[in-house]
Amino acid sequence: MKPVPRIAVLIALVTVGIGLLALRSRGFQWYGQGPFTPVTPEQANVKAEFHWSRLQYNAAQGSFGGFGYRYGYGFGGGSWAQDYPKADRQLLMAIRRLTRIDAAPTEQVVELDDDKIYNYPFIYAVQVENWTFTPAQAARLRQYLLRGGFLMVDDFHGTEDWENFLRGMRMVLPNRPIEDLSDNDEIFHVLYDLGHRFQVPGEQYVVTGRTYEKDGYVPKWRAIRDDNGRIVVAICHNMHLGDAWEWADSPEYPERFSSLAFRLGINYVIYDMTH
Amino acid sequence: MFEWLFKYPAAVFAKGQFVLLGSWPRWILALLIVLAGVGLGLLIWSRLSQATLRMRSWRAGIVWLLQFCLAALLLLLLWQPAITVAELKPQQNVIAILLDDSHSMSIADSGSTREADAVKALENGVLASLQKNFQTRIYSFDTRISRVSNLAQIQPTAPATRIGDSLQQLVSETSDLPVGAVLLMSDGSDNTGGIDRAAIAALRSRRIPVHTVGFGAEHMSHDVEIDDATVAPRALANSRMAATVTFQQDGFAGQKATISVRDGNKLLASRDVALAGNGKSQSETLLLNAGDAGAKSLTFSIAPLPGETNTANNAITRMVNVTSDKRRILYVEGEPRWEYKFIRRAETDDPIVEIASMLRTTENKIYRQGIENPQELADGFPTDAKDLFQYQGLIIGSVEAGYFTPAQQDLIRQFVDRRGGGLLMLAGRFALADGGWSGSPVAQALPVVLPDHNKTFHRLPATVELTAAGKDSLICRLTDDPSENAERWKKLPYLMDYQEAGTPKPGAVVLADLKADGRELPLLITQNYGLGRVAVMATSGTWRWQMSLPAGDPTHKMFWQQFLRWLVADTPGHVVASVPSQMLFDDGRTKLTAQVRDVDYLPATDASVQAHIIGPGGMAATVDMTPVPDSPGAFQADWNAEKPGSYMAEVVAQRGGQDIGRDDVTFERMDGVAENFHTQQNRPLLEQLAAETGGSYWSPQNLSKLASQIPYSEAGITVRNTKPLWNMPAVFFVILLLLFCEWILRRKWGVV
Repeated sequence: MKPVPRIAVLIALVTVGIGLLALRSRGFQWYGQGPFTPVTPEQANVKAEFHWSRLQYNAAQGSFGGFGYRYGYGFGGGSWAQDYPKADRQLLMAIRRLTRIDAAPTEQVVELDDDKIYNYPFIYAVQVENWTFTPAQAARLRQYLLRGGFLMVDDFHGTEDWENFLRGMRMVLPNRPIEDLSDNDEIFHVLYDLGHRFQVPGEQYVVTGRTYEKDGYVPKWRAIRDDNGRIVVAICHNMHLGDAWEWADSPEYPERFSSLAFRLGINYVIYDMTH
Repeated sequence: MFEWLFKYPAAVFAKGQFVLLGSWPRWILALLIVLAGVGLGLLIWSRLSQATLRMRSWRAGIVWLLQFCLAALLLLLLWQPAITVAELKPQQNVIAILLDDSHSMSIADSGSTREADAVKALENGVLASLQKNFQTRIYSFDTRISRVSNLAQIQPTAPATRIGDSLQQLVSETSDLPVGAVLLMSDGSDNTGGIDRAAIAALRSRRIPVHTVGFGAEHMSHDVEIDDATVAPRALANSRMAATVTFQQDGFAGQKATISVRDGNKLLASRDVALAGNGKSQSETLLLNAGDAGAKSLTFSIAPLPGETNTANNAITRMVNVTSDKRRILYVEGEPRWEYKFIRRAETDDPIVEIASMLRTTENKIYRQGIENPQELADGFPTDAKDLFQYQGLIIGSVEAGYFTPAQQDLIRQFVDRRGGGLLMLAGRFALADGGWSGSPVAQALPVVLPDHNKTFHRLPATVELTAAGKDSLICRLTDDPSENAERWKKLPYLMDYQEAGTPKPGAVVLADLKADGRELPLLITQNYGLGRVAVMATSGTWRWQMSLPAGDPTHKMFWQQFLRWLVADTPGHVVASVPSQMLFDDGRTKLTAQVRDVDYLPATDASVQAHIIGPGGMAATVDMTPVPDSPGAFQADWNAEKPGSYMAEVVAQRGGQDIGRDDVTFERMDGVAENFHTQQNRPLLEQLAAETGGSYWSPQNLSKLASQIPYSEAGITVRNTKPLWNMPAVFFVILLLLFCEWILRRKWGVV
């Protein structure tokens, strides 16, 4: 084989490899981002009791970011920005319409390096198999949770993702047990009675018909509690609520998944605001 | 000197009546005096033109005045002025001598004891001079009188003094004796705090004057004495309490002293203080933890200072009944919000206060937390008194007034006014003025006049500063040291929002102000209303204290726990028992009182009320309490704690065999303790007693004149004597003085 074709093959292999890796990490969307309305200055400055706050974390090396959007920065970001901002925005629409929560109409991004995170006792993180923390960041997240903050994690699947998630979580709360939530847990009844739940798939379900990803066949609703038994970390493993919110307006995406995802999201928010 | 000039003792003039013995009518005297004045005036005026220029001025007026006074005095003497006064008949009256034999008379202020000084005064002439004209009876007295045959029998050992009771007993026991006067020799230390009106009235009815002789120093040279310790008689278990110790000292100004409070041998709190000036009353506040439930006898003391003459008055005891009864608060919230979450979290580990809450999560759904059973609040906010009044406190969050019916709004007002509960109104989008509460009956109970406009709630940062009242309030006390506490409040993280609460009403107390957007507004306002209390917290953003301060910082939790305990601590039950004073010194008589109210907290006039009393040595008794006339729902019973020690009375009210409620009250009898307090001579008391009965106060040094004053009394067997005044030396001196003055002046002015 001549040298030039070898280089071409190598480039082709690298390109395919990167593409496969991106697909594996769910960084690329099969169908691209759902449409969303840009935030107006008025919307961005609304003062409200509740702000949907998405945690921007540092992704582990080797992971690829999806299509994210930051105000004024255009597309970019990392795995923290999966489904951002449409998923957030659509859930906020549901919260504002269905509850008495005075919620800001638009989402925001919070970082562990910024003290502003303590102004928002609810944060949401996705694809947490990719998160990494510096010791200082882990300590701040631990402080956040011990002071009364609440973390909801979503959109990570299978055994390997769980191990990666645990690696970060153990830096934050090394000795706290993680438990499976029972159907009778208060978090599933605080507003909607969600004793019977099912796996909520990502939008890949539309193409593949599979509700699972990787080896995450069974949805796991898990939690870490504080000393008083209150849930401080709500773990949605082997499901993708974010996609269900994001694609709720898609004719192809089944309504039953979005409906459950909205109810779960609202229940988690109200649980945090009452416990 | 006085008697030499005026011929008679001062008592004659003080008690006698001025009369004119001349038979001519008095109007003639008045007419003659006027005529003399006019005549002298005309005479001087007629000769004025011939007088020197110097005399044609005010000087002529002076001459006229002197001549007129002389003429008037001479005319008055023609009418034979005299004074009539009642005098005790010699040898027919009794003088009662009362000598204090209480323990305080054993204090040696001046080398010898007060008792010895009193005996010495009697033996050195006073007794002998009285016995020349009167029979004398000697009594020792403390809480009652005892007749003694000789002075040597009197020993200053009695544990208490009650001057009023002793005098009343004397009046009673000598009703068939012609007591002409009482000579009371004492240091004036009365353990009842004064002499009641009944004793004064008994003496006045027989017109018996009490001459008092005071013994003992009026100011101690080196002494610290606790005057009082005020502490709430009831407290919730493990709650912070404030106690104010009032004391004074002599001889230690500027020095340091240590104040402490103990429960038995357990030290609860201690503070070093700088002593104020000699004789000045000083008050210091101690913060202490009430500890576990139970009846407690707290001892407040000041550590004895070197050289202190009396250390027995450095400690004082107070009773506190600490209860662990659950207090429940109903929290109504109109929207999910962080303040709701963090208030509930702050109360999680409070073993006393529980919050039952109803939260409007959606327009038509209510989420209940902290309920005792599935039925509680299932139908929403209570509509009748029985259901609402089961709570001791009520918090209304961001809920518009219109959410409640007018009847429910009035019920909320009555919850405070009639039931005696605590109401807290929080800020919010639908709270206070923005929630339309201005037109509600609840507005009457609020400590503020709400603004007359909307949009008073602002999601803008606000900082907090304590007011002077807030610095003293237990609600806002995050640390024991007041100045450190005020600084800590200044450094608290900013609040997430605030609301214009309006103008504080007269009688309201603003504990904290907020500063926001260039304005200073009241933040935490409280007031008592009816039987209860109301507070307005003009923010819903204190949760940021919890989220912004390090995990484990107690600020947010401590504030809310103290605040909510204040809200419910004094909320009464169906039965409230009380005694006038929980400390009984030397006298065990007390009156048990109970206020009894039914399930709707209306007076239960037909209740059957009993007090089960247990006391020292296994004593147990049951007393029926009787209704108090003209006071619906009030019951009372007299009780005598015969032995020293602690007593507890459990008052139980029943109606138709069913319990209405019960309450405990504790009290303690201590003998021989009060005598150690106020050991300096209480001269004001002795002077007042003498003045109110027509006697005089005497110091031991001038008792030689006592015998000449005592006869002038209207008590006993008296004769009314008339004493002419015309021949008093003072009269002649005045005549000579007037003449001399005129002569001197004429000489000076060159008229002679």
